Amino acid sequence: MIRMRLDRGPAVPAAAVTFVALVLLGRQLAPYDPERPVAVPWSPPSGRLPLGADALGRDVLSRVVSGGARLLTVSLAASAAALLCGVALGLVAGWGSASVGRAVRWVCDLLLAVPALILALVLAVALPGATAVVVASVLSGAPLTARVVGARCAEVRDSGYVRSAIERGERTPTVLVRELLPAMSGLIAADAGLRLVTALQLATALAVLGLGPQPPAPDWALMLSENLPGASLNPAALLAPAVPLALTAWLPASAARAAGRRMGGAA
Amino acid sequence: MIPRALLRTVLLAVAATAVVFAATEILPGDMGDVRGAGRASAEDVARERERLGLDVPAPVRYLRWLGHLVRGELGRSLASGRPVADLLAERLPATAALVVGTLTVTVALTALALAVGFLRGGRGGALAPGLAAVPQAVYAAVLGAVLSGVLGWLPAVSLLAPGSSPWAQPRALVLPALTLALPSAAFATVLLRGALTDVLRLPHVADARTRGLPARLILRRHVAPFLLVPSVRVLALMTGWLTAGTALVETVYGYPGTGGLLVSSVAVRDVPVVQAAALIPAVIVLVGMLVADLLDTAGRHRPGRSRRMAPVATAGGAA
Repeated sequence: MIRMRLDRGPAVPAAAVTFVALVLLGRQLAPYDPERPVAVPWSPPSGRLPLGADALGRDVLSRVVSGGARLLTVSLAASAAALLCGVALGLVAGWGSASVGRAVRWVCDLLLAVPALILALVLAVALPGATAVVVASVLSGAPLTARVVGARCAEVRDSGYVRSAIERGERTPTVLVRELLPAMSGLIAADAGLRLVTALQLATALAVLGLGPQPPAPDWALMLSENLPGASLNPAALLAPAVPLALTAWLPASAARAAGRRMGGAA
Repeated sequence: MIPRALLRTVLLAVAATAVVFAATEILPGDMGDVRGAGRASAEDVARERERLGLDVPAPVRYLRWLGHLVRGELGRSLASGRPVADLLAERLPATAALVVGTLTVTVALTALALAVGFLRGGRGGALAPGLAAVPQAVYAAVLGAVLSGVLGWLPAVSLLAPGSSPWAQPRALVLPALTLALPSAAFATVLLRGALTDVLRLPHVADARTRGLPARLILRRHVAPFLLVPSVRVLALMTGWLTAGTALVETVYGYPGTGGLLVSSVAVRDVPVVQAAALIPAVIVLVGMLVADLLDTAGRHRPGRSRRMAPVATAGGAA
């Protein structure tokens, strides 16, 4: 079993930033043009092409190193939007009166009645793939974040240091940002990881279903469906995008779990 | 309590129809334009829009559509002109077979994972959350490559005609079911591990341990009964998510079910089919949650029943 040691302070953000930078700048590192044929279709790995070629004879390595930028950008944007909306909604629910909290919870339940993938698919009828991923992530992710943040906010609201801040005469936004949010940073960090995972899953699914980036664009998810027919001729063409894609989902999930652990909850 | 849970489910079902309708209604163009694209005059398009009922305001159309839906009238496909109910009916058995097969594998794998977790002390590793996070398409690609590409054990594409019995070619079920089951079993394990940890903290379990009872006996007699209600809840969620997840695997493997129909209808903007096919998983989630709620209510009156479990919906899961 692989045990991730992700609870080691600044190592995590540093590794995350390096990984994101590598994925985003990957296209500059590609040895060949990822959209042009350079070899015989389905060539096996060789010295010149370490991962071989795909169905059209394009270099798999070049396509893999440049194939994560769009996916990661869309997923990061979608999860950031979902987190932002969710935290705002959660603060409103947890800070406001009981009836406000009930109303927010009701809206959340309402949105959660439709599974996220279905929501993304239905939205893709009208919207471009990337927009559908962002909107679906917000609609299905923000309620989950709001629920967690709202519950915690209601707990923290009555603690001594928050009361004293109110007594000092601090304005409500100041109390929320300076006193409440820091107390919930671990919780929000854990939730951010989960939102990123969901956004990544949605973006991958839509891309595989042909509702995301269009060929010949290099994209990990698209490569999975493109290279499946040649699995016996050049398995590397299929596994090469699968590994970084799996890793991009695995790491935030593990980081979220580590953040949850640090807070003392069983994640 | 029962009427209240039922009322809630009905309200949420109506909400789900509203969400689905609203999502399909933000179309920049509509089917009148798509059908007439390029060859029809503005007049023809207007007539077509009127014929399809697209010329009235959205809220009116929603209520009209809801009214038809309640009476079981799902309308006709804009692309093929066939009744939506027929299209769904001929594909539902295949999807039902896939979901039932997948659930069986999921339940077995989850039970195994939880039992192993219990025997190792109830503290799970990073494996299950990690596996649950990996996108389903990766499972589809890797399993497809290994089982059908490299080993050649299974057909990569199910060559079943829509409407034929799913049992005519049971081998076609294996790849889609495995692809769906592996991540959902990992996810179910993550969700239920919280409940397991809670149960292990109960005094009677600690007591049984102090008395030196064998671990397997403690698991069967003192732990498993307390996991019933959380398990039903997770099972309900999984059934809905699996049904949603069939959209991906059915398309990848060419399996003729309602999920694949949903995807192909999205691609051609066949709104009536999209609306009906999208509601199937939503309704399954709601009915499953209702069953779990009712079981929970029934169980709450017995002393000592643990209702606690991990916050089900906080973990990721697009499917």
